[in-house]
Amino acid sequence: MMGQTQKPLEEILKYLNGRRKIVLMGCGGCATIFHTGDPEAIDRMAEALSKNGKEIIAKIKLPFGVFCCYLPMSSQFLKMHQKDLEAADAILMMSCGDGTQAVRSYLDNEMGIVKPIFSANNALGFVGEGPANFIEKCLGCGDCVLPETAGICPLTQCAKGLLNGPCGGTTPDGKCEVDPEKDCAWLQIFRRLEKIGELDKFAEIRTPKDWSKATRPRRLSVEPLDLMAKLKELKNTLVSMGV
Amino acid sequence: MVEERIFSNLMRELKAGKFVFTGELEPGKEGSIETTIEAARKLLGQVTACNVTDNPQSFGCVNSLAAAFMVQKETGMECICQLRCSDKNRLALLSDVLAAGLLGIKNILAITGDYVSLGDTPDVKPVYDLDSTLLTRMIRMIVDEGKDFRGNEIRNPPKLHVGVAANPGSEFLDMEVYKLKRKVKAGAEFVQTQVVFLPEVVDRFFAKVKEVGGIDIPILIGIFPAKSYAEAKFFHEQVSGVIVPEDYMAKLKETKEIKDKEKRKERIDQINIEYFTGFLEHLKSTPAAGCHIMAVGYPEIIPELRKVVA
Repeated sequence: MMGQTQKPLEEILKYLNGRRKIVLMGCGGCATIFHTGDPEAIDRMAEALSKNGKEIIAKIKLPFGVFCCYLPMSSQFLKMHQKDLEAADAILMMSCGDGTQAVRSYLDNEMGIVKPIFSANNALGFVGEGPANFIEKCLGCGDCVLPETAGICPLTQCAKGLLNGPCGGTTPDGKCEVDPEKDCAWLQIFRRLEKIGELDKFAEIRTPKDWSKATRPRRLSVEPLDLMAKLKELKNTLVSMGV
Repeated sequence: MVEERIFSNLMRELKAGKFVFTGELEPGKEGSIETTIEAARKLLGQVTACNVTDNPQSFGCVNSLAAAFMVQKETGMECICQLRCSDKNRLALLSDVLAAGLLGIKNILAITGDYVSLGDTPDVKPVYDLDSTLLTRMIRMIVDEGKDFRGNEIRNPPKLHVGVAANPGSEFLDMEVYKLKRKVKAGAEFVQTQVVFLPEVVDRFFAKVKEVGGIDIPILIGIFPAKSYAEAKFFHEQVSGVIVPEDYMAKLKETKEIKDKEKRKERIDQINIEYFTGFLEHLKSTPAAGCHIMAVGYPEIIPELRKVVA
């Protein structure tokens, strides 16, 4: 998921300077997990902005599981708020940059609503684990090396992103020269390869990374989901789990 | 008859089985090179070749290729040009390797490089497109095959050797030696190690090398005669895997009490000669091919130490 934190209120107010009628939109995906776009965060933001003279004309709260970056779902909520969006001086997106841009693109191109749109959050990249603590696990490099590195990504776990590590900076207690709180990723890879009997992979030379696969912006095309079928599937699963 | 693949004096002496000394030069953060050239002059005849550092500890300094070229031109001292992967991608590193050939540089030490946050510009974007293993591989492909990683042809490829670093004092010696074997597989032709103070560290390292089937390229063990207690303390506390012996540190610490600058220096020289004479005698009994003396700003100590293996 996309890790994120909220920008300082002063920075948000700077963007909204001279704009009174504001629409707030959250996200039921990653931003809910990081409390940066859930209904409670939207209410807190509305209160803070109101105190600073802003009129909140709509709060678009997406339920858990509805990602604002996934337009087949989030666009339903945009359509429900068409009039508010048309009346707004600005839209404040409480999501990551993906969400902000997906919504901006939909408003511009599908709804013909061209408005100033701002992101309230700073995205910090792909992170995993939780529920409280998260760590960056994947770079999204487009050329995954995990099969060769015991399931530990050296590009994100090693500060230098070395393919043939470690460097000379492994401390005597197995930490990283860059951050003494962090384990040396390549020591972790070495030990795990040893445990699973694949140490020969450590001795192999991993060839230079093909960064052409990370040329931006990357685009993907897939067969669209049958959304209703997926929602039914989710409902049945939750029921069978007694939720 | 197969032509012997020797391009430098360093490699010639190593192949001839001589016990080789190398030194170290550290060009500064300045638009001049006189100090480095002066230091190189003092090392002439004392070492076979000198490393020229590349942005050491991530402090931006004079380009190592330019400095090495000037040193070779002005003094005749053969250089081992350090190239680190922290600051340049594979295009820039390839350019440097070709430039090294043009500038008459015959040896490169391929290193990954300290992380940029350790230096004087911690907010810089680090590169690490390659690591020391891949830089080694790339250099051998350029020199031996006249090709880059993509197979693009390089006309008139440079003739030079590539060396790598290793850390005998690593707490994780298994991994260190595996890594070194990987560098040898990539084409490394010689090794210069991190600083070692304890003879038992050298022994433990060579025992591990033997355990994994040996390493068939020359290994020069790094030493660091400290000019002051502060320098020794820095290595002990800040450099991974380097243990400076307590008695050596204690003797250097005592010199802080000597008020007369000349007398203090004499005593420090004496401490280093006593300590490293014993160390070098031991080194001669190991498979080490030589000794890399990192006595930056302390060239006068080298002739004394060399007497041991004269």
